[in-house]
Amino acid sequence: MGQDETPEGRKAEAETPALEQEAGPSTGGGQSRRDFLRSALIGAGGAGLGLASGGLLARYLAPEEMPAETESFPRMRVARLDEFVENQPLEFRYPLEHPHDDAFAIRLGKPAFGGVGPDGDIVAFNGTCTHMGCPLRGSYKADHKILGPCPCHFSTFDLSRRGIVVLGQATEALPQVILEVEGGVVYATGVSRLIYGFRNNLRDAPPVGR
Amino acid sequence: MAAGTTSYVSRERVPLPPPTAKVSTIVCEYCPVGCGYKVYTWPVGTEGGRRAHENALGVDYPTEMLSGKWVSPTMYNQVSIGGRQHHIVILPDGDAQAVNLGGTHSVRGGTIAQKVYNPATPTADRLTTPMLRVGGSLLPIAWDLATDLVAELSQYVIQTYGELAWGMKRYSYQFFENTYAITKLAYGKVGSPNHAPHHAPAMGSDTPGLSDAGMDPFPAAFEDFKEADVVMVSGSDPYETKTVLFTTWIAVGGAKIVYVDPRKTFTARYAETRGGLHLQIHPGTDTALYNAIARVIIENGWEDQGFIAAHTASRAELDQETKWRRRLMGMTFNELRAYLTGDPRFTPEGAEAITGVPAAEIRQAAELIARPVDGQRPKVVFAFEKGLYWTHNHENTASYANLAILTGSTGEVGRALTRFGGHQRGNADAAPYPLDKSPHEYQGNKIEMDTDRWTVEGNTRLMWVIGTNWVGAMAGSQFLKDRLRELVLSGPQVTSLDRAAILQTLKSRIDLGGMVLVFQDIYLNDTSEFADIVLPAATWGEEDFTRANLERRLRLYQKFMDPPGEARPDWKIVAEVAQKMGYVGFDWPDANAIFEESAAVMVGKRMDYKALVDEAQARGTRAHAFLGSFGTTGVQLPVRRENGALGETPRLHADKRFKTASGKANFVKGDWDTVEARNLIYAPQGDELWVLNGRVNVYWNNLFDFKRRPYTFQRFPMNFLEINQADATQRGIESGDLVSVTNRAVRNHLGGASMGYFTAVAYVTDQVPPGATFAYFHFPGSHANSVVPADTTLQPLNLRYSFKLGKGRVARLGTSQLKDTMSFVPRNVV
Repeated sequence: MGQDETPEGRKAEAETPALEQEAGPSTGGGQSRRDFLRSALIGAGGAGLGLASGGLLARYLAPEEMPAETESFPRMRVARLDEFVENQPLEFRYPLEHPHDDAFAIRLGKPAFGGVGPDGDIVAFNGTCTHMGCPLRGSYKADHKILGPCPCHFSTFDLSRRGIVVLGQATEALPQVILEVEGGVVYATGVSRLIYGFRNNLRDAPPVGR
Repeated sequence: MAAGTTSYVSRERVPLPPPTAKVSTIVCEYCPVGCGYKVYTWPVGTEGGRRAHENALGVDYPTEMLSGKWVSPTMYNQVSIGGRQHHIVILPDGDAQAVNLGGTHSVRGGTIAQKVYNPATPTADRLTTPMLRVGGSLLPIAWDLATDLVAELSQYVIQTYGELAWGMKRYSYQFFENTYAITKLAYGKVGSPNHAPHHAPAMGSDTPGLSDAGMDPFPAAFEDFKEADVVMVSGSDPYETKTVLFTTWIAVGGAKIVYVDPRKTFTARYAETRGGLHLQIHPGTDTALYNAIARVIIENGWEDQGFIAAHTASRAELDQETKWRRRLMGMTFNELRAYLTGDPRFTPEGAEAITGVPAAEIRQAAELIARPVDGQRPKVVFAFEKGLYWTHNHENTASYANLAILTGSTGEVGRALTRFGGHQRGNADAAPYPLDKSPHEYQGNKIEMDTDRWTVEGNTRLMWVIGTNWVGAMAGSQFLKDRLRELVLSGPQVTSLDRAAILQTLKSRIDLGGMVLVFQDIYLNDTSEFADIVLPAATWGEEDFTRANLERRLRLYQKFMDPPGEARPDWKIVAEVAQKMGYVGFDWPDANAIFEESAAVMVGKRMDYKALVDEAQARGTRAHAFLGSFGTTGVQLPVRRENGALGETPRLHADKRFKTASGKANFVKGDWDTVEARNLIYAPQGDELWVLNGRVNVYWNNLFDFKRRPYTFQRFPMNFLEINQADATQRGIESGDLVSVTNRAVRNHLGGASMGYFTAVAYVTDQVPPGATFAYFHFPGSHANSVVPADTTLQPLNLRYSFKLGKGRVARLGTSQLKDTMSFVPRNVV
């Protein structure tokens, strides 16, 4: 990991925070660092993902040495209520500046545990599989409001039931991002349950927005 | 607006083990795959840091994707070691060189840290002291009195009523050391055939068709699943229940899957979306399907003629067989061909009418498993489990084995016929089962006795139940419970703590035709409701043990913590009772001594580990310690000594020798007429539905651990009944409703009709077809077994129940409390 601690590595982290602040459909023009990583992951595919994560990716994904950077969850703007389109995920990073902290908010069109908004159907979750850390992005099934199956070991999560595993091997439900609505805007205010790879949701990487 | 939920609140941070943490190796307790785990223990008050050199895992945190080093909250717990509070992390072995490569795991094993005894968790009700039922309640007593009672009552029963009145119902798998001690007493000293494993009413092969064929049911290496072109699966969903075998070996290998199951499970959909097939069979019709596939193979000349000519028995060789059932049911290739081609029911169209599987799919299945491509025969692994052999035990296993023999699928990389198994293998018979004393026979041939039938007939005077939920398991049935109530609870009951008075009361019950029940386990369960004496057992992680997985991989399961209270390992309890009964040879100092002694009886068997013990002795080390040096990799049995090292056996039958008198494989008759007659008894009538049963991803066996594991228990807080939308609509049932399942005429152990019933939460799903429902097979207090036939005289070739073929009327009782909280979305989305 020595190489990951070079000033260059830290610089790569520092240059992109603004991109991570505002969530939105990933249809923008420029390719963010996160998008780059995502396409690299998808290219690696399924069970082969581990190989990629050890080499090239590790250089970019290396966390900062920040043991206790924050004591409480940041309050972060996600999107206006009227920006939500049913079954369309809005992606954002939360609570830390780390690839495992890929989160998404979604209006399910059906009341959900922890749901906000006029119909109680807007929820947000971390999108990293709690089995072994593979990305669940793109696996949302609108018919049943489920996320999965994970490309690695096929875990599926029920987004209307606090992210519990429908079928699969994850040893923790999908971490749910706690949402609040104020003045027609949805804010992320915390995370319930431990995110894959972490020992503590608020340690070992810088918080978003720094 | 938001739905409520019965929430499990998890930890949101975990302490990492420091570099000073003690590391033990162990294997998951549950499914037969047997993933390797590492156990980290360290005193409370310290924890490791995020840098690799600051923690015992040797990785930086946050860990990377697929690191195999992430400690999820359910992998963490606290335990008492040496009387001092310790942190404990039980982590799938991220450095594993076998089985669960890269530290992958199922949800069952992944959460196994929640198994360990911690009185602050739902494990608080572990049995910690012997107990005696006095005045209807279980009261703590001393070990010495408890083993005195068991020993003296055992001697009394054996002397007064003979050894057949002394029975044992015990696990077959819970470590070689324990099963050796148990069978040394039961077979070697008492000599009673009144003895049955946890899963069946009688000892003997569970897969008689394979036994008659001479095919070992556990010959394969996991590598074979990866190297196969096709994996055929019958009667088991390997993703749900043999998870890592599926994810790490079958899925990664990319074999096409031919999946046979009445249910459209995850693996069924996985198969049909990746070039394979789901043969959605009517329940109980497997034999007709495999006979038809075999016929297509033979009619196209796709059989492996070289293998058949060289390695299958002739009529003369079959006539020389030493086992009666092989003489009766064995067939040559020509005899099989004549049987299959002479019966129009075994044409694809004929079989379609019986099985519901389209004729075209029967032909496709035959092609996939047998048609040579560019002169190369496809490499096929034929795997199966209880959906096959717990429906029509002999006929199904025979007809399935025939497919493997026809295609020469044995003893080579990527070619095998194998059970998946339900648990790991840990049985060491210290002496032979006393078959000659069995009261049960078929056409004058002795057959292992049906202990359940023998008991409900009132012939058992003392039953010692070790590590199983007898009345809740398999065909325990309402009838068995009713009879135990009469035999155990209605006779004289202990009302004193005076030793002589206790013995007098229990002996008087025995003399009046009643029964005494000794219950030995780690928790109370449905069976302990009938217990007179309760003996608390120590278990996994609380004693050094050994066991093998389904590819015969033997490993040491290291002790890492103290047993709760006064709990003792089963071998020690049995040894103390045996010594009090006056038997010698039970004075082992520790589990290692039993393991070393047991090696002698394993010689020449599938699980032969004698060479390992000999090699350890040559090196001046204990056998347990020597095995421990192989870590989570272990050794693949049987082993032999080769130049100061151990030679292992990746797969059996590599020499093309089979377990028959001739050493050749036998084709075996898969007798459809017998099955058809039996199905007339089993099939639903009128508005009844099939009530099938089986395992589910998040649970293992009778939930002794899993109902005490809040994380997994939130998935199905009560038994569920999968029911098709059409059947649900007809009955006014929606997902989340509480339903009753009732069978007013369960075929009981004596051939009579009994009541059977259970309740469950309805799960409306296309996973089951119209006409069939499915429940968890072994849910505490909600016994799917209560609606299944328990009459083993219907399967006289091998005394087994048709456990998977229950039936009953399904009715809505009302709305369950789970309607708005449990997840009822499809479980078969791929």
